Amino acid sequence: MAPEPPRSEAHGRPRRAPLPPSSSLVRNVGRRLLVTVGLALLALLAFTQLDTPLSGLVPGESGWRIARAFFAQALSPALDYEDPSPGYRPFLVKVALGVWHTILLAAGGMTLAIAVGSVLGLMGASAFWEDREGPRALRSLRLVLFASVRVAIALMRSVHELLWAVVFLAAFGLTPFSAALALSIPYAGTLAKVFSEMLDEEPRQPALALRQLGASRRCELVFGLVPGVLPNAVAYTFYRFECALRSAAVMGFFGLPTLGLDLKLAWFDLHYAEVWTYLYALALMVVVFELWSAGLRRRFVV
Amino acid sequence: MSGAVDTGLGADRQRRIRELAARRPRSRYLTVSVGLVGLLGVLAWTTGGLFPSYLLEASSRQNLARFVGELEPEPLRGRPWSLGELGAWAGDVLERTRGLEAAWTTLHLAIGAIALAALFAALAAPLGARNIATREPLDPSRDRGGWRIVRHLVRGSFVASRALPEYVLAFLLMALLPYSAWPAVLALAIHNGGILARLQAETLENLPAAPLRALRGAGATRAQVAFAAGFPLSLGRLLLYVFYRYETCVREATVLGLLGVSTLGYVIQDARSKLYYDEMALLIGLGVVLVLAADALSYLVRRYLRDA
Repeated sequence: MAPEPPRSEAHGRPRRAPLPPSSSLVRNVGRRLLVTVGLALLALLAFTQLDTPLSGLVPGESGWRIARAFFAQALSPALDYEDPSPGYRPFLVKVALGVWHTILLAAGGMTLAIAVGSVLGLMGASAFWEDREGPRALRSLRLVLFASVRVAIALMRSVHELLWAVVFLAAFGLTPFSAALALSIPYAGTLAKVFSEMLDEEPRQPALALRQLGASRRCELVFGLVPGVLPNAVAYTFYRFECALRSAAVMGFFGLPTLGLDLKLAWFDLHYAEVWTYLYALALMVVVFELWSAGLRRRFVV
Repeated sequence: MSGAVDTGLGADRQRRIRELAARRPRSRYLTVSVGLVGLLGVLAWTTGGLFPSYLLEASSRQNLARFVGELEPEPLRGRPWSLGELGAWAGDVLERTRGLEAAWTTLHLAIGAIALAALFAALAAPLGARNIATREPLDPSRDRGGWRIVRHLVRGSFVASRALPEYVLAFLLMALLPYSAWPAVLALAIHNGGILARLQAETLENLPAAPLRALRGAGATRAQVAFAAGFPLSLGRLLLYVFYRYETCVREATVLGLLGVSTLGYVIQDARSKLYYDEMALLIGLGVVLVLAADALSYLVRRYLRDA
């Protein structure tokens, strides 16, 4: 495999975003040192503020008991119920259904997120609003609209999907729809932010060429800028899909029929071998999607 | 696009354009991927029970309306109020629910966790880097045997540690460890440590080989190559990634409160279970402020690191 340049999985980073040439980072020795020392000091301060005694790292008596029982099963995940009762669907079918519901919830949230995120992403790009003629009042109105789109994107991103789930739990009960909606709000915000950054960083020549041909502004944006960012945008969307799978699994802790629910119930029943099966299923599902999206990135991300 | 439009171009030019269009790069991998995800989306909305038909029922609309009404601060409901009163109410709620303390804990939890993750990444990444963890460092032609296995195991452990969500890790750790902030700190550190270590290993692999070779030629050991040349050369990039992840850490630290750690999520959940929706909204707003502040901080630090 050819070495690929560092891929930015670090949140919200398309790979093509402007990272500085490494030489400029090499030159900035003083600043790096300052930030590193500052981070270390802040971390030390943080541990004085947190309830983190070193004794907290050692399991207590019951902790050891659970740990022994739990890790003893690590290499022998359950293939059948530990406590089978007649009439239940086969265990592996149940695991597969958990995986399927997790994927469906993630897909449901992502469809909303992609729809809203691409519209907001277009509207959040400065190219969508910039240098248009018109009376002064109209131009300042555009500026206000642009600013409010950016603020909306920031606000959508700043509340975690599980907190949205808590809010919707209160508003209309936690149903698959409210979970998908909860998932989609911060994801739409993140997609919009990344899409608009991609559009802003895209070279303008194709759009300018269209302008010379007399294209309208909308045409310029859609046919001059969007095609250039599409490969990156698709690859990034796939990466977010993988994150959505993790979030959808966790939504199960609130009672939705995803892997989180199965995992939680098996844990409280002390069926540790079943817990391992769910953990492996969750990890496997995420890794398969990751390989899939890595394949896309390898092919398309420049 | 189509021949029917009079583009003002000659016929052979139009043909040439059509030829170019037919030869444009196309990828079956991309088509199939997008198609599959589209299919999943359709299946989700048709078979996943997602469609909210219950919202059409009068009772759930009434519930929704009541919920929205209860978002207004309780002592101020049903009468005109001033901003001063609102401020007094907010101060009172934050003191009673200990919201500010929870916000403080959230911030520190995120810092402690990201620092541990960065430390792990800096120490473990060389073992997963293709130029350092080979039989002879910097010599890919002799990539056989024990080091190759070590490298793949280490890379596998990075993948595994980030495959599980923080929430699940914290849930499991809370049962194993006595009550403290450690389960939350460790859960965030493990997940982010896996991500940072992977990125750091890739940074190391993409370093210019010359400085590392020079050191090796002067007789440096593998560890010396990794930490005397690899680490300083990759530190800038690592710090950028650390601050990117810091903002997500704040978001996640908030949410781990739902499991009982005393971060903002805990007080938010508490307000919800008491049906004090006005207080819940205020505390969520506090979380928004916190995340936006972390966003701004991380942006400023990254810009500071980047500008020469």
